[in-house]
Amino acid sequence: MGLGAVLAVLAVKAWPAVVVNGWGFVARSQWLPGNTYGGVVHTHGVAHPQGSLYGAWPLIAGTLETSLIAVVIAVPLALGTAFALTERLATWIARPLGFLVEILAGLPSVVIGLWGVLEVGPFLARHVYPLVASHVPDTGPFRFLTGSVGYGEGLATSGLVLGLMIVPIIAATTRDLFLQVPALPKEGGEALGLTGAEVARRVTIPWVRGGIVGATVLGLGRALGETMAVAMISGSVLGKVSPNLYGTMTTIAATIVSQLDSAATDGTGFAIATLAEAGLILAVIALVVNLAARRIVARTGRLAAPVGRG
Amino acid sequence: MTFARAVRGRGRSLAMLALVTATMMVVATTVASAGTIRLPKNGVEKPPAANLTETGSTLLYPLWNLWAPAYEHAYHQVTLTTAGTGSGTGIADAASGTVNVGSSDAYLSPSVVQATPGLLNIPLAISYQAIVYNIPGLNAHLKLNGGIIAGIYNGKITNWDSPAIARLNHGVKLPSLPIVALHRSDGSGDTFIFTQYLSKQVAAWASGPGFGTTISFPAISNGLGENGNGGMVTGCQATPGCIAYVGISYLTQALGDGLGYAAIANGVGQYLLPTPADAEVEAAGFTRATPANEAISMVDGRIHGGYPIVNYEYAIVNKHQASASTATAVRSLLEWAVNAKFGNNHGFLSQVRFDPLPAPIVAKSLRQILSIR
Amino acid sequence: MAVVDQVYGSTRRRRAVDWAFRAGALAALALVVAPALWLVVGVVARALPHWRWNVLTTLSAGTSGGLENAVAGTFVLMAGVALLAGTTGVLTGVYLAELVGPRRSGRPGGVWARGAIDVLAGFPSIVLGYVGYVALCVALHWGFSLLAALLILSLMVVPYIAKSTESALRQVPTNYREGAEALGMSQGYALRRVVLRSALPGIVTGLLIALSVAGGETAPLLYTAGATNNLPTWSVLHQPVAYLTYYVWTDYNQPSNAAHVVSNDAALILVAMVLTMLVVARLIVWRTQRHAESAR
Repeated sequence: MGLGAVLAVLAVKAWPAVVVNGWGFVARSQWLPGNTYGGVVHTHGVAHPQGSLYGAWPLIAGTLETSLIAVVIAVPLALGTAFALTERLATWIARPLGFLVEILAGLPSVVIGLWGVLEVGPFLARHVYPLVASHVPDTGPFRFLTGSVGYGEGLATSGLVLGLMIVPIIAATTRDLFLQVPALPKEGGEALGLTGAEVARRVTIPWVRGGIVGATVLGLGRALGETMAVAMISGSVLGKVSPNLYGTMTTIAATIVSQLDSAATDGTGFAIATLAEAGLILAVIALVVNLAARRIVARTGRLAAPVGRG
Repeated sequence: MTFARAVRGRGRSLAMLALVTATMMVVATTVASAGTIRLPKNGVEKPPAANLTETGSTLLYPLWNLWAPAYEHAYHQVTLTTAGTGSGTGIADAASGTVNVGSSDAYLSPSVVQATPGLLNIPLAISYQAIVYNIPGLNAHLKLNGGIIAGIYNGKITNWDSPAIARLNHGVKLPSLPIVALHRSDGSGDTFIFTQYLSKQVAAWASGPGFGTTISFPAISNGLGENGNGGMVTGCQATPGCIAYVGISYLTQALGDGLGYAAIANGVGQYLLPTPADAEVEAAGFTRATPANEAISMVDGRIHGGYPIVNYEYAIVNKHQASASTATAVRSLLEWAVNAKFGNNHGFLSQVRFDPLPAPIVAKSLRQILSIR
Repeated sequence: MAVVDQVYGSTRRRRAVDWAFRAGALAALALVVAPALWLVVGVVARALPHWRWNVLTTLSAGTSGGLENAVAGTFVLMAGVALLAGTTGVLTGVYLAELVGPRRSGRPGGVWARGAIDVLAGFPSIVLGYVGYVALCVALHWGFSLLAALLILSLMVVPYIAKSTESALRQVPTNYREGAEALGMSQGYALRRVVLRSALPGIVTGLLIALSVAGGETAPLLYTAGATNNLPTWSVLHQPVAYLTYYVWTDYNQPSNAAHVVSNDAALILVAMVLTMLVVARLIVWRTQRHAESAR
């Protein structure tokens, strides 16, 4: 119900922008606020500053790219972390380490953003990205990994930091899920001579697969909507899609936070309406991603998971 | 003779004379009657008990934090809450009535005034901007002009040893170092006056990217967005070869971080450093041109000896307040703030490197303040 | 053994895979823990040289002074969120896991509720904040206020609580429920005494993540809670509330050293608060688990 109210308010606020920006909004790359101190023109009866032309394609691309990187990084890290914490390590060391992972979940994104822009970005740009960029072949899809590595603010750093931010969300759930798996089937597997890896793959993970996918979707949600950290790490460059993995870019959420203030200086209200429209697009993306995830759960859920409850 | 009529007079001495005459004729306390408001002797109305709120410009925020305890100390019945949220938010909050006073680095655009007719922009102080850079080993102040800076930001000039920069800086040993152009990623009054400078100096910039609190900077591979003035300074410190524009309050921090700052070409071709004196010269040159509503750009005037990137810091207030007593409290606060004996005292302003308002501008601001009801 | 060998290939290969798997798991842990340590140590190292205890007992002066008001405000916000979002979220989770019957296709029910929750989780906090500002602060004339901030923050974290509650409940072994049923317990009684109790660790963990997310939010609060240098008041409307992230965010971007000290101190206090919360929660969980085991 709360969601409905939010969407309704957003839709009402966004409507003038939807009318003027049209379908081209999702395909265009320009982000021109126009001359807010100049004349006002009317399109389809909606007032907006002269010269304003908005396109959300770079924001949409940036949102999807960073979230994809984040999930690709976070899922194996989270599963490995959860597994190491529950199965591999002695309690005296697993407890404090698990604790650190949980703290990561509680750190404000502002603090993480500061760390990302001041320490992680420069470190990666100096020591890691050049290595990657110079060692991959300059052909086909790998070309995306080559080229100028920039200054540490951009797509790669944003994706990596986002990945780290959602690891605890996925790992915490996964760890608790692992702990709920009864010892009996696991011990049974071991008694059959299965190795630890095989027990994990054949028994533990199928047992909790639904929960893991659910946690991943939750993490993906956080990555799609994460605002402050990305606003600080992305380089916040409007109007262009990053040409390679390291370039500066922006996302929908980061653009909204960094532009909301100056949008308020557009007396026609058109800039704010456009940001509301961008917010609506993000909601649609979240919806589509979720439906897709649910499809996947439904399909894999029927194929596997012979044990455990439905 | 009422005060309101007196401040119409032009020039410093006339206004001061009028102020003295007016205050001598005033009765002890304020009377907010139908017609004019009479200021008491010290120039500040006595406020009723009130909770006042201020949000807006992060550049003005430190000054508000110096002002708030001093004003509350003088008038115990008032509490003043301040917040640094950004100029646009300050304008929007003042327009919606969420706060009593907004603050902004930029004057109101015609479309905002059209949307909220009662909204006033009232200068409180004068700020200016420094162009800083991180060139290790360089001790001299580089000379830069609009053409060169625009060339850097649109990607035509990419190295510090480029001929265009060298031509202007004879005798300075320029390193071969790629330039990284930083701009503000959040909407900002600093971007507003910086791009106004470029627009006035370079015709192609005016017809291209133009000016505003957010503009679409040319998409160049060596450009970075930074959050806030603090982000500009720390980002520049971390990126050798960078160039950035920062509010003057941040100059001390920038110098502490090892950044240099440039002498900038003004409207008559002089290269000047951002000093309080030269900023004051620029502001003084604009006192006559400043209209009654005080919405004016002071950037790049044709003023001999004036530093070119200077602006008023504004309070944004709705002329029509919720109640007469709130209106009185808001007037009192602003009267106190623009008064050279109180808020516009050098002791407050120098802490954030702002300049005080010239006397004729104080008079114009007071006229606007007294229209708040 | 023969069967296993047929399915899984040679023993040497299986050993290698197992070794790689274990090494990978430990490496993943290291890759998560090292940056976390880097972050926490960084926060502490930045704040400690200038730390003074009276920060906790002095009101803020914006760009200088203490953080008493912000600490108090953050506590009030977290308590409010625990109350509002905690109840709503846990009830939603229980509803989704226990009360919605499976659909005819055999898939779990409550599709719409679950979809709404997932969309809400992916909503940028700044948009929620903006909607709160437009609808609550401006249109309803609440001004910057505790209630507006609480509603928006709660809306933000309800998905976390609901989701974690749901998955915790779903992982309670079926035989617990069957046992309870066999003992003749009603569904409600079994839920309260058996199912919820064994799901408690999961629920508490979710609640904690949600609370720390709420306490660490900046963007939505800027537009709903406002900011103030005073302590929270009892009025839920028209009075702005202070919170720690405001000072981290605003004062980091201020020129004076005093402001940077405030920003670093606020970050340290936030980290300490999160840490304390997690310690307390772990203790609670640990105790309930021990109880549950001895009762079994």
